[in-house]
Amino acid sequence: MGKVSNKSIFSNYQKNEGLFDEVFDENGNVKSVYQKILDIYGARSIKDYVKLNNKAKSSFFNQGITFQVYGDKESQEKIFPFDLFPRIIDPDEWDLIEKGAIQRNLALNEFLWDVYHDKKIIKDNVVPLELLSSSPNYLHQMMGLDPPSRIYNHISGTDIIKHSDGNYYVLEDNIRCPSGVSYVICNRTALKRALFGVFNHYKTHTVTDYAENLLSLLESVKPHGVDVPVCVVITPGMFNSAYYEHSYLAKAMGIELVEGRDLFVENDFVYMKTISGPVRVDVVYRRIDDLFIDPMEFNPDSALGVPGLFAAYKKGNVTLANAPGTGVADDKAIYTYVPDIIKYYLDEEPILKNVHTYHCSRPDDLKYVLDNIHNLVIKPVDEAGGYGISIGNRLTKNEIDEVKNTIKAAPRKYVAQPIMSLSVHPTYIDDTKSFEQRHVDLRTFTVLGKDQQFVLKGGLTRVALKKGNLIVNSSQGGGSKDTWVLKQQ
Amino acid sequence: MLSRVANNLFWMGRYIERAEHVARFMNVNYFSSLDAPNQLSQSRQFVLQSMLFMVGNSINDASVDLDEEQVLYDIALNPEESYSIINSIKNARENANSSRDLISTELYESLNKFYHFVMKYPKEAFVKTNLYDFTINVSEMTAVLRGKIRGTLLHDKVYAVIMMGVNIERAIQINRIINTKFNDAQKAQGGYGDTMANSFEWSTLLKCAESYDMMRRLYKKAPTSTTTLEFLLLNSRCPRSFMNCINQVYNHVKELENKAEHEKHSTAFLVGKVRAEFEFKRIEEITEDVQGCLNGILDKMFKISESMEKEFFGY
Repeated sequence: MGKVSNKSIFSNYQKNEGLFDEVFDENGNVKSVYQKILDIYGARSIKDYVKLNNKAKSSFFNQGITFQVYGDKESQEKIFPFDLFPRIIDPDEWDLIEKGAIQRNLALNEFLWDVYHDKKIIKDNVVPLELLSSSPNYLHQMMGLDPPSRIYNHISGTDIIKHSDGNYYVLEDNIRCPSGVSYVICNRTALKRALFGVFNHYKTHTVTDYAENLLSLLESVKPHGVDVPVCVVITPGMFNSAYYEHSYLAKAMGIELVEGRDLFVENDFVYMKTISGPVRVDVVYRRIDDLFIDPMEFNPDSALGVPGLFAAYKKGNVTLANAPGTGVADDKAIYTYVPDIIKYYLDEEPILKNVHTYHCSRPDDLKYVLDNIHNLVIKPVDEAGGYGISIGNRLTKNEIDEVKNTIKAAPRKYVAQPIMSLSVHPTYIDDTKSFEQRHVDLRTFTVLGKDQQFVLKGGLTRVALKKGNLIVNSSQGGGSKDTWVLKQQ
Repeated sequence: MLSRVANNLFWMGRYIERAEHVARFMNVNYFSSLDAPNQLSQSRQFVLQSMLFMVGNSINDASVDLDEEQVLYDIALNPEESYSIINSIKNARENANSSRDLISTELYESLNKFYHFVMKYPKEAFVKTNLYDFTINVSEMTAVLRGKIRGTLLHDKVYAVIMMGVNIERAIQINRIINTKFNDAQKAQGGYGDTMANSFEWSTLLKCAESYDMMRRLYKKAPTSTTTLEFLLLNSRCPRSFMNCINQVYNHVKELENKAEHEKHSTAFLVGKVRAEFEFKRIEEITEDVQGCLNGILDKMFKISESMEKEFFGY
């Protein structure tokens, strides 16, 4: 093994002064939590690193930990790019993230209950009515319905970034079918295999307890009168981009992975078709979007769902996690009101900050947005996966005009935020065979059950692999890093 | 276990087994023909015909001149041919994909590696120089898969369904191989005595079923038509024999049944009946009409497979 000094492995590492680097402070010194790992990595040559990196890659590929990219013609099987240099979060910082994520998701749950019942928050003029009435994600079918244990957003993914001011901000809430948790576990496994030695120097929290916490959550929200509930995961099928995750979760929880065609509803009870005949199903962790879960109630063309499922849900004979209709609360238009929502229901100050958002539906905001596009990120309100995002300072003059026209045509559909400077993390770049600064965010996973809350200690650090790029989604060429939350000394 | 998933696992087992038999058949036939004792067995056309017959795409016209590279490519790597090895592996993996939550990580990883090996295998090299390398790798990788099935899965209904697929397919493939070589032996007869009984093709047949060494230990003589057929059809100790396959199927189908006694129309009853018939069969009854017996076995296996579909996978 070639001995290369600490300096040489990072010797080409260029620090852009304007960016917040997770590893080095403004004077170029290594932050204390990273000191040890930098020493260890520094003892290896880039050549060793390349070898380890390739091994990790083929390990992902052989295990079939891949996702499909929907391209021009046929979908392709790709591995989720993975970086062997982990992100480390110290216990105090994590404490803030964890408390903030729980607070935020509890408040959103209260909000969901309210908007599907008395709508007090609207009557009190905290959130404007038209945000609900114009939201395609508001399901009138959920009005007055009481989900078991009063929980709507059982599983939430909260996307958090660190801005150049060193503070964490929430960028987005995902409370429909957030994905990515399986990669957290795979990343950890890959890193342990490749560089187990480094774990001797850090007391890191495990991430493998996610599945047991999820199962315990699903069992806690069982329908009334059921003793030992039968839980299943429902997937759109093996051609879905997150199929690996669905199968991983089912396997890790030891429960069945079903497709819509495996279930049927009789007398408002749900059954799955097994080799020993029908078996009653009590809790469904659904990874199918609202509109596809039941062709009788929602999209009649859906072949993914189960006819009659919603009726069984309405009767209280089956639990759906997450509840239908949660999309109304993770909509980018509602996002702006989350600090108010937290204050309204919990009477607490938000622990995690929100990025200021301009609503193109408001005339004043619209004017500001149209005048300042070059300084803003424009996002469609209801698109997931980083599609349809325009970043103002990257646009040509013609493109700006184009975006302006698109916004003017449907102002309700767009919001804008100041261009946040995501923090950067040293990331190994294959093309240049060296470490470079790349923007990162963090998706945390929160699980809410009956009297239980759990935040996975780690989460998915997503990396925008293209130089200067701020969009970290895997469908847009993003990668990920293992994320270590250190134990309190 | 979900019916759909059971169906997929059953077919995963069948496709893995199918790939192995086709690969071994290609390997053994091609290489044993190179120095075969008589002209016909040594002829390349004869061997290619034999391979196509085995995969169920027989050419009945002897005057057709087969292109060696094309035939080898079709049987091994042509994704357009339903009988090709590459298709079997694709199907096996696709079936495994849809039941990934039930099979072990280890089994899936081996199957996935196998899939990528076959998908990436260079076509040119295969048809020109790498027939041995490719087929031997397929045989080895299927052996690994069998090991992972046995060693990394809970021996419950999931295991039983896969093993039923494996054993039903094995019975069918062994039957096809016997049928092919029986056909060949009639054409390429031996040089003395009962020329058909002494054909060189019987040794090839045993090698195709990986049973040559076992057979030599048991009979200590050069194989003849009678001893070979007896060994491959009726000897329950030979892991490749039909008798052993049907015994295995019977053991596993009992695991799937919920009742203590078989119902008259159940798959277990049907399997038990076939098993009983062969347990008390003598080889003389078979040699009277080999072709008829082979056809009968094939028919019975198809009926068992159909009955499984009705009883366990029907939804």
